[in-house]
Amino acid sequence: MVFKTTKNAPLSSATLHILLALAGGDLHGYGIIKEVTRNSDGHYRLGPGTLYDNLKKLMDGGLVADAVTSSSSKRKSASTKGDDRRFYTLTNEGKNALASEVDRLQSVVREARLRLQEVRAGRA
Amino acid sequence: MNRVISRFAYRTLLQLHPASFQHEFGAEMLWIFDEEYEQGAAPYLFLDGAISLLRQRCRVQNDPGQVSITSGAIITGPGIGPVRLLQAGITFSLIFFSLMRLSSHPSPFTLSVRWADRMPCYTITLQAPSHAEVVLKNMP
Repeated sequence: MVFKTTKNAPLSSATLHILLALAGGDLHGYGIIKEVTRNSDGHYRLGPGTLYDNLKKLMDGGLVADAVTSSSSKRKSASTKGDDRRFYTLTNEGKNALASEVDRLQSVVREARLRLQEVRAGRA
Repeated sequence: MNRVISRFAYRTLLQLHPASFQHEFGAEMLWIFDEEYEQGAAPYLFLDGAISLLRQRCRVQNDPGQVSITSGAIITGPGIGPVRLLQAGITFSLIFFSLMRLSSHPSPFTLSVRWADRMPCYTITLQAPSHAEVVLKNMP
């Protein structure tokens, strides 16, 4: 199954959170779960099934790849179990997809603010 | 729930996943289960694992390329023996009890149904105790 990355195609919540987590640096699976929970103040939490289902799609689509060039010191700081865990990294395509999604969300927020201003002006 | 039994059941749940997915992510998922179990997230993990199993199995059925891999695994494998059936039974019993435990919280499920093109479109939202949210929907 190929992950479709057409320009301006909205990403799912799980995908967006995973890409956001990896934007901060290479992480292993549990690190991604922790980072997503931290980024959302505990309001959004990924289960391992959801995580790896989405990671597989992202890897098939070339947005995420195995981190083979990460330094061991960085890995040790992220994992208490040493270097035996598989780390994931954001590819350039993944960075572009994340940037496109952020742009799309910004335009949604801009439009929403305009609409709200119109509603408020109509009430006044 | 006893940790050893829970781990055994979760591992069985993982073994029911398509072989390729299991080989690629099974060990990591079990590791995350071990880490999260300490925080009392077992019911949510079983539910998440069951949904993952459904997703992966549906994907294999819809992807001809993967069907051949899975079929090959079934043909060359030992088949579904009584031990595997017993494991599956324990696993689904634990999932059932996990769901029962989750449902004891006030209104954990939200179900909305609408009709579109003579087909029922449903959205089921499950709010787990740890603010985790699982959404199942068949809407396009």
